[in-house]
Amino acid sequence: MKIPLIFSYRELIKNLVLKDLKLKYRDSTLGFLWSLANPLLLILVYSFVFTRMLRVDTPNFPYFLLVGILPWNFFAQSLMMSTGSIVDNGGLIRKVWLPVEVFPIATVFFNLAQYLLALAVLLPMASFFFHMPLSWSVLGFFVVLALHVIFTLGLSFFIAAVTVFYRDVKHFTEIFLMLLFWLTPIIYDVRVLPESLRTTVYLNPLSFFITSYQDIFYRQILPGPFHLLALFSMSGLSLALGYIVFSSCKVRFAEEV
Amino acid sequence: MSPLIEIVNVSKAFTIRHNRSNSLKSSFIGIFHKRFRETKETLWALKNISFNMTPGETLGLIGRNGSGKSTLLRIIAGIYQPTQGQVRFPNGTRVGAMIELGVGFNPELTGRENVFLGASIHGLDRREVEEIYPGVVEFSELDSFMDVPIKNYSSGMHARLGFALAISLNPGVLLVDEIFAVGDEAFQRKCIQRMEELRAKGKTIIFVSHAAETIKNFCERACLLDHGSPVFLGAPSKAIEEYHRLLAS
Repeated sequence: MKIPLIFSYRELIKNLVLKDLKLKYRDSTLGFLWSLANPLLLILVYSFVFTRMLRVDTPNFPYFLLVGILPWNFFAQSLMMSTGSIVDNGGLIRKVWLPVEVFPIATVFFNLAQYLLALAVLLPMASFFFHMPLSWSVLGFFVVLALHVIFTLGLSFFIAAVTVFYRDVKHFTEIFLMLLFWLTPIIYDVRVLPESLRTTVYLNPLSFFITSYQDIFYRQILPGPFHLLALFSMSGLSLALGYIVFSSCKVRFAEEV
Repeated sequence: MSPLIEIVNVSKAFTIRHNRSNSLKSSFIGIFHKRFRETKETLWALKNISFNMTPGETLGLIGRNGSGKSTLLRIIAGIYQPTQGQVRFPNGTRVGAMIELGVGFNPELTGRENVFLGASIHGLDRREVEEIYPGVVEFSELDSFMDVPIKNYSSGMHARLGFALAISLNPGVLLVDEIFAVGDEAFQRKCIQRMEELRAKGKTIIFVSHAAETIKNFCERACLLDHGSPVFLGAPSKAIEEYHRLLAS
């Protein structure tokens, strides 16, 4: 990867992220609060359904949900948006030479910014409300987050590149994410599952990331060494494969979009 | 003088796809139904283009619509990869392509925000953008409109901002594609004047235009393209003559 080149375009990446953030909230009275409304409402509805109607007995369920759903949203929205990272910037790519990598990177960083903002506001509130003090295990968050970003970036590279040639990928991603949501232990605790189902859930790479976040914020422990090893190898693999596909296609982007 | 740009036997083929399938479904159906099958045709947009440019030279590219001028410009800018041949620059040469004005401008953002975004699209860092910013404002004469979203600009104002930015990027080699057809006459004169200044400063410029007068006045050499082949390369007045003959035939 031509890292120095992409690094020299960091101002552009920053501006693209800022542009998307500005455009999202400009002219709306409540602005950034809308970004909180979506996860809050989701948590409210799921909490009601799962604790009152289905009688799930995970303690502090809304807090548990919050810890899993914010990183999920980051992941899912990054992937959805990256279907348009190259295709929607066709006008630019055909007229200016620039390292096209900046677009998927900006997409992921834009969603990362939203994730971190939501987390910074909601987590302290929830932690106070549910008497779940944050412990020193929070230090592990930065490692998990970094690996989660790398993992997401790899998939975004892949999706952004493939969508240029097959526009179906957008619809496929949408449906695939819906399926993946239920295969990820976000609204259920993986520990209450029977052994056989637990194996199935861990076939989904994202489960390792979500349970790591839950370890750190909810169970207040650090993810185990096996878990961390899995995170390292999956994010490395994702970025390597995603970027190989992306860079082998990228010379054709200007002609195809 | 050693050449700044070496264009060596550059050819470019485009694949024209009939019934082009951009979805899995149509690819799949194409296996069974001939009618839906994608058929490919190769179109050579450029054939064996070779020339060198010395630093400070200005070259005009002329030719009919579809003769390959813009494709050549894009290949020199690195946007397209040549199918055959090579474009060589000394290391670290910054090539600025003005293929369209205001590329990447977003109507919802203010003039100032768009200048910062637009400049970073061309690879400038924060410090460089801040350096050129006053010049952009001055040239565009939009001082009191920089905090207004550009969706509220008139098309002339939009073009002025785009040109002011493009001209301030200060690349080593400037590629200009037919962008003077904007703004009123006074602004067009101002643009030409600015280009003259750049040329006087020794900037290397490749210039695409249909306007015979501009090519004659501005360029030291001109290249006439027809159906992707270089038909003539030499004195601008001679190139224009050839071009007119081509149009008449």
